[in-house]
Amino acid sequence: MTENEILSVRGISKSFDDLSVLKGVSFDVKQGDVIAILGPSGAGKTTLLRCINHLITPDGGDILFKGSTVKGDRKSIRSFRARVGFVFQRFNLVSHLRVIDNVALPLVKVLGKKWKEAREIALKQLSQVGLDDKAASFPSQLSGGQQQRVGIARALVMQPDIVLLDEPTSALDPSLVGEVMRVIKRLSSEGRTMVIVTHEVDFARNIATRVLFMKDGSILKDTYPREFFESASSEIRDFLTDLSSIV
Amino acid sequence: MKRAVSRITLGLFVAGLIWFSYFSVSQAYPFNWKVLPRYYKLFLDGLVTTLELSVIALGFAIVVGIVVALARTSHSGFFKDAGTLYVWFFRNMPLLVIILLVYYGFGSAINIDRFWAGVVSLSLFEGAYVGEIFRAGIEAVPAGEIEAGEAMGLYRRQIMFSIIFPQAFRISIPPLIGQLVSLVKDSSLVSVIALGDLTMRARQVGTQTLAVFESYIALALCYLLITSTLSFVGRALERKMVIP
Repeated sequence: MTENEILSVRGISKSFDDLSVLKGVSFDVKQGDVIAILGPSGAGKTTLLRCINHLITPDGGDILFKGSTVKGDRKSIRSFRARVGFVFQRFNLVSHLRVIDNVALPLVKVLGKKWKEAREIALKQLSQVGLDDKAASFPSQLSGGQQQRVGIARALVMQPDIVLLDEPTSALDPSLVGEVMRVIKRLSSEGRTMVIVTHEVDFARNIATRVLFMKDGSILKDTYPREFFESASSEIRDFLTDLSSIV
Repeated sequence: MKRAVSRITLGLFVAGLIWFSYFSVSQAYPFNWKVLPRYYKLFLDGLVTTLELSVIALGFAIVVGIVVALARTSHSGFFKDAGTLYVWFFRNMPLLVIILLVYYGFGSAINIDRFWAGVVSLSLFEGAYVGEIFRAGIEAVPAGEIEAGEAMGLYRRQIMFSIIFPQAFRISIPPLIGQLVSLVKDSSLVSVIALGDLTMRARQVGTQTLAVFESYIALALCYLLITSTLSFVGRALERKMVIP
């Protein structure tokens, strides 16, 4: 293990009833990595991401964070989650809280800051995603793209060591994808460590430092973007053809 | 404009119907409204009792409702079943029977004041309904928001108090107002244990003055006034609490 390794996923498996969704998946994430997880739907991409921070409890395998295993007890999971940002496909903002309080909430509840201080930090974070003027709005008053940018701000405000993004643009109107992509691109240029499940080939090609290709609960390919898109593997070719035929 | 015309038409029709009924009845029953004002103090006394009873019972019903809703949404099978059992019992039992059981049943074993027998009966009964309202409110909170709380590292208790309860409460307000209106109406049943509420006072006035119909018309108007006011205030509160 190298010293700048942030996250190590070791042999994670998960079944729902008789359906084996993850069959012993392993990969490592180093500081500054931007990993794109691609693959056909039903491959287990989202389940894998959710297993990493225990939103789904894996059946087997280990998650190592900065070299030590994350234990399964509540306290360990909580402190691990506080170091890991999570961005949801459907944003999942807390609907009765104003935008600024959505971003300030983890600072208050997890780090124990006062609301006043937390809101100041939250406002700075919001201006980073260009939404400081929406601080007093409620989530339902925002467009999908704006909500997702708030979701990203909420994940970043905790200064996480790694950010997990679960299809962050899939629930968006095509015209709103761009603004969210730009924010994510900027994060990568700032050197943020990210794991992103995505269908945006463009994103995998231009931003990712590595591509994981998943199918049927396993990682078939763990490679660099250039090699991935030039791959001669029939599964990858089929997948890419299917994607381009949809667009 | 069309709406206004239809409303006026309806108003005239209802007024005509009331006048016709009143006129027909007055052929056989001599209305005597003059005696009522002398007894306004009894009415007022009954009104105060009904309001006191309703407000206190609502308070307890909300407490009962919170406990029932928490039990029914808990992960423990035991509490879940206990909550279900409670709701099953009190929703399948007529309130009148509960009042009789509490006052004449338990009341014959332990000394229990009429007023508090009424409060206990109403609280237990309405608590089952309030519990179902709160449960529906809790279950209506989007699962994704709870997940977001988990993902940011909140404890279960923090998720409950910061994410679930504030929203469940807002969602519950409209049906809760409706239940409060029901509670006020249901409270008229306590008159059977001679608790001096509005209904019992109206019956008293009726028997004393022999102006029975007049007393009950006044009684009906009193209830309409209370419940309409509650609904009106409730709607205002609802508008204030709504999440845009």
